[in-house]
Order: sequence, then structure tokens, then C-alpha cells
Amino acid sequence: MDIVIIGFGTVGQGVAEALSRKAPTLQSAFKEKLRVVGVFDSKSYDVQPKGLDPREVAGRKQKLGRVGPELNGRGVLEILEEVKYDVMVEVTPTNIKDSEPGFGNMMAALSSGRDVVTANKGPLALKFKELSRTAEKHGGRLRFEASVGGATPVINLCREILMGERILSIRGIMNGTCNFILNRMKDEGLPFDQALREAQEMGYAERDPSYDIDGIDSAAKAAILANAIFRRDVTFDDVRRTGIRGVSLEAVELAAEEMKVVRLIAEVSESRLEVSPRLVPMGHPLAIGGTLNIFQLMTDMAGDITVAGHGAGKMETASAILSDIVALLKEDCAARKAES
Amino acid sequence: MEMRVHADLRLKDVPGQLVRALEPISASEGNIVGVVHHHDAVIGGRITVNVTFEVKSQKQLERILADWKERDVDVARLSSMFETFEFEYLIVGDIPPSELRELTDGIESIEDLDAVDIRYSVSPATGEKAAMIFGKVKQKSAIGRVEDFLRQRSMHAGFLLISGLGD
Repeated sequence: MDIVIIGFGTVGQGVAEALSRKAPTLQSAFKEKLRVVGVFDSKSYDVQPKGLDPREVAGRKQKLGRVGPELNGRGVLEILEEVKYDVMVEVTPTNIKDSEPGFGNMMAALSSGRDVVTANKGPLALKFKELSRTAEKHGGRLRFEASVGGATPVINLCREILMGERILSIRGIMNGTCNFILNRMKDEGLPFDQALREAQEMGYAERDPSYDIDGIDSAAKAAILANAIFRRDVTFDDVRRTGIRGVSLEAVELAAEEMKVVRLIAEVSESRLEVSPRLVPMGHPLAIGGTLNIFQLMTDMAGDITVAGHGAGKMETASAILSDIVALLKEDCAARKAES
Repeated sequence: MEMRVHADLRLKDVPGQLVRALEPISASEGNIVGVVHHHDAVIGGRITVNVTFEVKSQKQLERILADWKERDVDVARLSSMFETFEFEYLIVGDIPPSELRELTDGIESIEDLDAVDIRYSVSPATGEKAAMIFGKVKQKSAIGRVEDFLRQRSMHAGFLLISGLGD
């Protein structure tokens, strides 16, 4: 399996490291060579048909700020036309306005019958149907476990392990930054602004925190779940969204007196698509603290299933991407066995 | 509206009496939840049976009681209660005390409301205000009407509305 990595920021470098660490085990388990044949960041690239050493590329990126020769005005897709690859790992930054460049990259791969593994929420939250139809038409596979919940397996859990179940609804905390802020307000009695500043100082929130605290990140994830799990045809704009900016310390304290906490909850079902602060009883699984993500699935036979884990981070996201690559290897291995 | 009824019936200690006592409930489309038959306690030739069932209206219950009377089923004790559904909301913003009356009146005007209670809090340090609203309705669908009212009111006044999980 020949892989190209598009986007070589924190997540892309995490994928490179994960592949370096796990390739020998996976190659021996699936009897298939696993090679990274191309790496692209926003201004440079490195392509090697015989395979690159992903760790070496990551080292170069850290040292020089680029992965190889500069693009010099050439587009990633133009260079990719000359590269033979099977799987595109698309991990450019999420763009929730127009989904580029991720959407264009994914469409190029899928329309040429290649597989795409991605953590990029923008294209999935805005143009899910177009991507999945293109994949279906050209025989490419689109996998995106890393786009929701980071290392917490929720998409593949619903679509594969729980395939026989009817998922009635999914509720969850899908943004660790908001959870950190709300938790600090309650535990330490911090006003919202101070808890936010703390989150920024600790690297959980960006300088412009709107993506997290206005519920944009959670809403993108909710839209992806609605499309992928509930087969709805929605985009990010269809999500009824309220962030946590208006949550005051007085409100958090009043809720606590009634043994409740305030959490930013995304809720998805066949009829509901919403991100908003909610009152959660203390001790309830969704009252989880820290920066963890948690998903509560309501199913028709198995009842409630709850999964929790790290929703972001370099190796956590890389782990989810690796799980999709493993799923592709597994399918290829089964297909080879069926042919022989 | 579901009404849950507990009845202690005293039946003649002869075969077929239990079926005879339960028939009026089924005939009135009531839902039998549980039956406890006390064979060991025979008083005056009658045994006690505790029946729990659900009916949709007082009229339906009265029909069952009339049927029992006709069939010589002695009702020793009867208690009933409506099933209720709870709701809870937290409103955050510059809530004037006069708004509390508006909120209470608005919610109380909603059909099938059983009870509503509001806790109001103002921070002495910052002046931030919040109001916690608890209540019960007799029909689950009435929660939607409460939420619609609070959403409209909050949107109009610029409050943040935080709803419960609804479990």
C-alpha cells in the first residue's frame, strides 16, 4: 500500500511517526508492504516512489520548516498526477467556510479510484454527499474516524461493530476545550474569561477561540455524524448551534447547587441536530471533566453504549488515522484471500 | 394523559373470579401493569387481589368501577395518580425580577402542566443573574410546548437558554 500524506502539520507528523512505529507489525500481519511515497505541506513536498522514511521527513520539517523542495507555484494536485499511490491521508487544516484545500485534494484522489483517510472536518461537514458519491462511483474508499472524537472510536464503532443495531441517537461532548473551560468554572469558581485565558495558556484553546467556544468544531462533528451514521443529507449550516460564551459563573454555580453541571453537548438523531450547553446531572457519564471527549449511543437492542477518550492531540489523531489504514489493509487482505 | 391506578379488590374465593375482575380493565382498553393474588388471606369468604393498571382518563376509570360494581367485585381501596414528566431549564442573562412573573405565567398557561418552580440567583459580586426552572407536565408532548415558549422568550430578551438532558 503506497500512501501520500497531504498536510504535514502536527497531525501529519503524528501519522508519519505512527506509520514508522507500526509499519513492520502491520506488514507482517497483512503481508503487504506499507510505504509513504509522498509528503506535502503548504509550501513544499517530497516524493519517492520507493518509499520515504517518514521520521526523516518529520525531522527535516522540524529543522528546516519544510519537507523538501518548494512547490514553486506548482499545485499539490499537479505533482500528485505523476505519483503512483493507493491511499491519500488528507490532513490539511479544517476550513469550515469553503472546505478547501481538503475538498479538492479528496475529490482528486476519490475520482481516480484511490482511497482517502482523513481527519479534515471541513469537507465532510460541508460536502459529505458529494465525497461519498464520488467514492462510490469510482470505487474509492473514504474513511474518516479521526474527524470526530480523535482517538475515541465512534464512527467505525457505529458503522462496523454496531452494524446490526439501529442507532437511535448520539449525544456527546465533542470539544475538549469547552469541557475544560466549563469544568474549571465549576471546580475553581473561575469566571468564563479567566477559564478561557487559562485554556489558551495551556494550549487547549487558540488565540481566536471562536472555533471551539462558539460550538463550530462540535457542530462540524455533529454534521459528520448525522451524515455518516444517520444517513442524513445535512451540512454544518443545518446544525442548530449555541456556544458557551454566554455561560456565566453565576449560572454554573446555580446549576451546581441543584447537583447539575453545564456541558456543551452535541446531539444527533434522525430528527435532531443540535449543539448547545445543557444541564447534566452530576455523576452522569456526560458530566465527565477534563479535556476528554465522550459519546453516548442509544441503540435499539444493546441499549446505551458510552465511549470516552482523547478527542485531540498529535498521536491520538494519528491513532484514529492508523485505525482506518488498518481497516483498508484488512479489506484488501480479505479480497486477496477471496480471489485466491 | 396516563393515570396509574392501584386497587385492592376483594373477590369471592371461587374459581374464575380473578378473570371476571380483570375483564372490565381490558374491555375499557386499560393496561394491566401488575396483579398480586393473596390466596392465603381469606376474610369473610373473600380473598384480596392488588391490581395496578393504567387508564387514559377519569371516565375510563369510572366505567371500570361501574363494571366491578355490577359484577359484585368489592373495591376495598383505590388510589390513582397521573404519570408526570419532568423538565428543567437554566436561563442566563440580564433577567429582571419582573421577567420571573412573565415566565411563570407563560409556563402555567401551557396545557397539561402539573407544577412549575423557579429559583432566581443574582451574584452580589458581579450582578450576573440566572434562573433555574423546574417543572412537571402530565403529557410528554407538553415539554415541547414549554421549550418552545422558553426559546421564544429567551430569543426575544437575549437570554441564553440551557436545557436539561430530558432523560
